[in-house]
Amino acid sequence: MDFGLTETQELIRASAREFLEDRSKSDIVRAVAEGDNEALSSLWKDIVDLGWPSLTISEEHGGAGLSFSDLAVLLEELGASLAPTPLVESSISSWVIERFGPNSLKSDLLPQIANGGILITPAIVEQDASWDPESVKVAATRSGSTLVITGEKRFVAFAEQATHALTLVQIDNQEPALVAIPIWKADGVEQTPVAHASGVPVSSLTFNELEVPAGNIIATGNEAIKAVEELTAAGGVARAAQLAGLGRAVVDATVEYTVNREQFGRPVGTFQAVQHHLAEMAIAAKQVNHLAHSAAWSFSQEGYSVVAAAQAKIAASDKIAELCWTAHQCHGAIGFTWEHDLHLYTRRALAWKTDYGDSAFHKSKLANAMGL
Amino acid sequence: MRFDFTPEEKDFQRRLRSFLDDVLPADWHGPPDESSDDHWALNQDIKKGLAERGWLVMSWPKEYGGSDSSPMMNTIFAEEMAYRRAPGHDRFGTRMFGPTLMRFGTEEQRKKHLGSIARGEIQWCQGYSEPNSGSDLASLQTRAIEDGDDFVVTGAKIWTSLAHRADMMFMLVRTDPEAAPHKGISLILVDMKSPGVEVLPIVNMAGVHSFNHVVFDNVRVPKSNLVGDLNDGWRAGMTVLNFERSGIDYAAWARAALEEMVDYVNSDESAVTSAKSDPTIRIKLAELHMEVEAARLMCYDVSYRQGKGEIPSSEASMSKVTASEVYLKVLDYGVEILGMYGVLEPGSKQAELQGRFFKMRLFYTSGPILAGTNEIQKNIIAQRGLGLPRK
Repeated sequence: MDFGLTETQELIRASAREFLEDRSKSDIVRAVAEGDNEALSSLWKDIVDLGWPSLTISEEHGGAGLSFSDLAVLLEELGASLAPTPLVESSISSWVIERFGPNSLKSDLLPQIANGGILITPAIVEQDASWDPESVKVAATRSGSTLVITGEKRFVAFAEQATHALTLVQIDNQEPALVAIPIWKADGVEQTPVAHASGVPVSSLTFNELEVPAGNIIATGNEAIKAVEELTAAGGVARAAQLAGLGRAVVDATVEYTVNREQFGRPVGTFQAVQHHLAEMAIAAKQVNHLAHSAAWSFSQEGYSVVAAAQAKIAASDKIAELCWTAHQCHGAIGFTWEHDLHLYTRRALAWKTDYGDSAFHKSKLANAMGL
Repeated sequence: MRFDFTPEEKDFQRRLRSFLDDVLPADWHGPPDESSDDHWALNQDIKKGLAERGWLVMSWPKEYGGSDSSPMMNTIFAEEMAYRRAPGHDRFGTRMFGPTLMRFGTEEQRKKHLGSIARGEIQWCQGYSEPNSGSDLASLQTRAIEDGDDFVVTGAKIWTSLAHRADMMFMLVRTDPEAAPHKGISLILVDMKSPGVEVLPIVNMAGVHSFNHVVFDNVRVPKSNLVGDLNDGWRAGMTVLNFERSGIDYAAWARAALEEMVDYVNSDESAVTSAKSDPTIRIKLAELHMEVEAARLMCYDVSYRQGKGEIPSSEASMSKVTASEVYLKVLDYGVEILGMYGVLEPGSKQAELQGRFFKMRLFYTSGPILAGTNEIQKNIIAQRGLGLPRK
């Protein structure tokens, strides 16, 4: 057991902290939440320049060839800073393409994802809001070397910025397929933005007889199902890492507040009732951190651990949302205001709780793995 | 980052498992009950077997009979023993008193006591809490008065686990009643067979005699049994608590109990057949599975940090709080799944899982109370870990 960071990870953490401290201040987070796409694009451009989207892409395909654990360390910092940026969407999409895609597609897409030429985001969920790949309804018909796609995907993050959507479809009513669909200014793609608590752009995508080359198919049949399961597991672990960082940031902010806020002639942080709230928050943040690291580590082994991935997302979803609510209680009235930043964390935690399978979804997965 | 044991650790774990397969009775379910003579005999046998293999005090330095193994090895040892609910793990001598003596004892004391602990020959118990001094330990009142070459000890200790089986006690006594509470305390070693020592059993709410009230009436203790300096016992005494504060036993007990519940729910032999098809049970057991793993990782983190030479005080408290609480959650839910069978006492006709879950739930009510209540642990986390002010 080694809970320490490698030298590379220490470097990643330090440089991420330095960059995000400046580039993900709360005025930027708020601006993006209010629809400032300029701020979003400018942050993403800087992130591409830092090479972060290439982190886990193999060197063969123009990436840095680092591990999922290394990515998790970076995502913790991203979560702590609430950076409004599509790094998780891009990273887990490239992760799945690299593992399941045909060579031709990998050499085409991955180098461009690494250098920011392509921004790809998962579009899996449909009207029933399920992450179960078996429930796919968006239909594709094969016509020669072209797929014609019709149907609606919901809750697609950064669809407005993305060039491609990593989409699960059902071909000819019988065969699921995972496809990289070009969506940037494409005819036959309609975007409907929703007002989402995450504070980043989220839309539904409606495909209306959209024509996509069959060469963009990443996997079909059982392989497509496995690919979506791995995408969901990896996305859940990525969110867990972000939520671990977010939780830590909220603990730190709450410590700072309760040390400085005085009532009855002393800091409210001296009261045992407040101290015990904070002790429980610190425990929760640490548990999520360990479970996220353990699950991320499993992705660098032969096959990932379904159990560890589910545990990480269950804990992150449930514990960090609760941690945020407790932080509001510790902040008193000021933490209930729009002006105070605390609700930015809470909104993000609540949004991430639902991403890549909520707690109930992963508990069911875990129960299966436990033999129940 | 690596979330796996080393080959050496895995090999040790495998050898310990196979040893336990051999020494534990085939139908062993535990938990060990120290008031049962049969269990105590098994305890002594297993302890000797562990000592012969050099596992009892693995983490001690070579010069005292150990093998300098890492804190992680020690944690694996504790985890396996607890997972099997095996008797024979003498935590008072090996985990608490031994390491304290290495740090604060004289050469003569170390020679005299460490060898017998390492060989599994002498059972120690811990005399800390008193009827009026629980969480506020520094208020303890048991007096030791100097008289020639001896101390004369008068007073009482309480909640003393294993006092009825112990040969020796390490205890905190007040040697200077005029000094500030923390400054007038000394750590001394008492032979439990000394005249004037009376061990009165206390039966706990689970119906088990595992701890005691120990009364000292003018008990003569040679001055050579003082550990560390006179009136400096608080420091040594608190060191013991640092060694004591880990949640790994609870985390392992919780994992064992959870697995037992999963098997129970899946089994066709179970009386509560409806459990198998109840989706809420699936979901709740999965949640507990996550909680148990979280607690386990918290404990491994403590050992990892200790291995690097840190003294992870806040993390140790976190592991104790988390693991003792999750164990009770698992037992609570086990009792709940068993429904009306859940409240049948052990030994009752028609009891499921031998009434074990109900008894364990009552017994381990002690978890969040003993070794520093979880409320005290949370104070430590908040103050030492997060830096919140005391006043």
